[in-house]
Amino acid sequence: MQVRAIVRMSWESLWAQKLRTLLTILGMVIGVGAVVLLVSLGEGAKRYVLKEFEGLGTNLIVVQPGKSDKKTHMGPPVGAAQRKMTVLDVSAIEREARNIEAVSGLVLGTVSARYDESLSNITIFGTNEQFPEILSIAIGQGGYFTREENDYRRRVIVIGRNIARELFGDENPLGKRIKLNESEFRIVGVLAPMGDKLGLSFDELAFIPTTAALKLFNEDKLFGIRAKASSRVSMDDAVDEIREILRTRRDGEEDFTILTQLSMMESLNTILSMLTYVLAAIAGISLVVGGIGIMNITWVSVVERTQEIGIRRAVGATRRDILQQFLAEALGLSVLGGLLGVGGALCLTHILHAFFPLFDMRSPWWILLPAFAMSLLVGIVFGVGPAWRASKIETLDALRYE
Amino acid sequence: MALLDLRDVEKVFYRGDEKITAVRSMNLQIQAGEYVVITGASGSGKSTLLYMMGLLDVPSAGEYLVQESSTSTLSDAERARLRNVYMGFVFQSFHLIPRATALKNVMMPLLYAASHDGIIDVQTQEQMARQVLQRVGLADRMEHIPNQLSGGQRQRVAIARAIVNKPRVIFADEPTGNLDSKSGNEIIGLFESLHSEGVTIIIVTHDPRIAERAPRKLVLEDGALVGDSYAG
Repeated sequence: MQVRAIVRMSWESLWAQKLRTLLTILGMVIGVGAVVLLVSLGEGAKRYVLKEFEGLGTNLIVVQPGKSDKKTHMGPPVGAAQRKMTVLDVSAIEREARNIEAVSGLVLGTVSARYDESLSNITIFGTNEQFPEILSIAIGQGGYFTREENDYRRRVIVIGRNIARELFGDENPLGKRIKLNESEFRIVGVLAPMGDKLGLSFDELAFIPTTAALKLFNEDKLFGIRAKASSRVSMDDAVDEIREILRTRRDGEEDFTILTQLSMMESLNTILSMLTYVLAAIAGISLVVGGIGIMNITWVSVVERTQEIGIRRAVGATRRDILQQFLAEALGLSVLGGLLGVGGALCLTHILHAFFPLFDMRSPWWILLPAFAMSLLVGIVFGVGPAWRASKIETLDALRYE
Repeated sequence: MALLDLRDVEKVFYRGDEKITAVRSMNLQIQAGEYVVITGASGSGKSTLLYMMGLLDVPSAGEYLVQESSTSTLSDAERARLRNVYMGFVFQSFHLIPRATALKNVMMPLLYAASHDGIIDVQTQEQMARQVLQRVGLADRMEHIPNQLSGGQRQRVAIARAIVNKPRVIFADEPTGNLDSKSGNEIIGLFESLHSEGVTIIIVTHDPRIAERAPRKLVLEDGALVGDSYAG
């Protein structure tokens, strides 16, 4: 029989029993829908996290004290440093590395800040003047502090957008002095609105020179070093240079870890992809359930239509024609269910996107193809048994079947 | 040359351990264009004989030739093709597909014809089906499903289905068994008119009205041919 004739015939047969068809494909709709939905969620989450990561600045190199397991790329346990990392290390890198565009030490701490109002628990980043370039930080008002201000340990501060609003309201904060714990700092800049990056709200951060931060927190060691390679190509060279410089300064011992944004993103990508696959596999279980539903109904249909099989065989249908007919019906059910499932999932992800614009989990259109192939496969796997059985029925037995 | 030729054909069934010989040492030739009625008590093997001749059943022994070529080595698909191209079937309980219209039921053999004899497009298939439905007097019942038709009308749909592919021979198994006498007579009339056009007709029946008007009458008893007579 021609493919077109088979398709038409199975469609007529499915259409003749609309309610049964609908109920049968429901399992398939939910199964395929769940797979598409969960894969989209996984992919959306991956895109979101990676975008956040990329937003931290390109060609970022992170140096942390302490040696970690190389395989994870996720940095050493905090506080595991054996040897102090100091501003002298930063100076050495800045002086000697050829493939570094910017480098800064980083000191972290929390303070309370006071102007008229007082704010507690403000996170302070102690950095040098190159830091904005490394993390792509944009200044809204005024400017970042200068190299001289860092070198001479000036008490100057650049504040995030929200801190400015909460302490000063509509007042212009530039030139004002605020108290961090008991020291007075002069405001030289306000960040442009930046929002969240990896869960860290830059609008609620404040930046002061590394030197001033070490004094403020009564520290002598850095939390870490951040650098920016001059280009993506020179990333590896930059990392090697930093490693050599720091090792030389540590008598050859490597008690620090260098991570690159690239390697961290790769690790994250692997983890998040794995998560997506796991989600898809879980949803796949419901697909199997949907397939069993189709197999069940195709079995019933074969038994119910035993006499029809006999009639068709009598007027000239071959066993193959019968096999094709029932297989086509099973495929029709699964593909119909699959397409409705994909359609539903696509609509749902677009609706969700409208409500949560930040988290883009819209399924790509190419998902139609694997989903279609998947439902086709389910149809074949679960339809072939009943269809085979139908083709094996003896014509005379089928004709006499009541 | 015989259209259908049975040589020492035998059909044996097993019911549990019991061996039942439904048809025994059957030697029978039917020429093209004949009108043959097969009678006999129930259980005499006449339906089994009909289904073997119609390639719906396979002999246990002996040789069956259609147009002088043996059927014993034919594959299932080849037998299906022969049924489709050369043979038409009419059954006692009509055997129409209940959810399909009269038109769709009649078109069905053409659907399978398309697979071996080149493509017949749907329009042509429909045209051919409409023609034969008109021929059997159901021009105004084409879009009805079997449930909406009387017994006589259903049997006429079945005859239309049997002749739509222009077969050489029509096999009918008790075609008037479920019909009142008026409808029965109409069906007999249809067979006779087809016969006059050269179609070979083979009917298994208890109906004396068919039997007495048939040019050739076969009588079976316990699976054996005990009578083969020509009228006139």
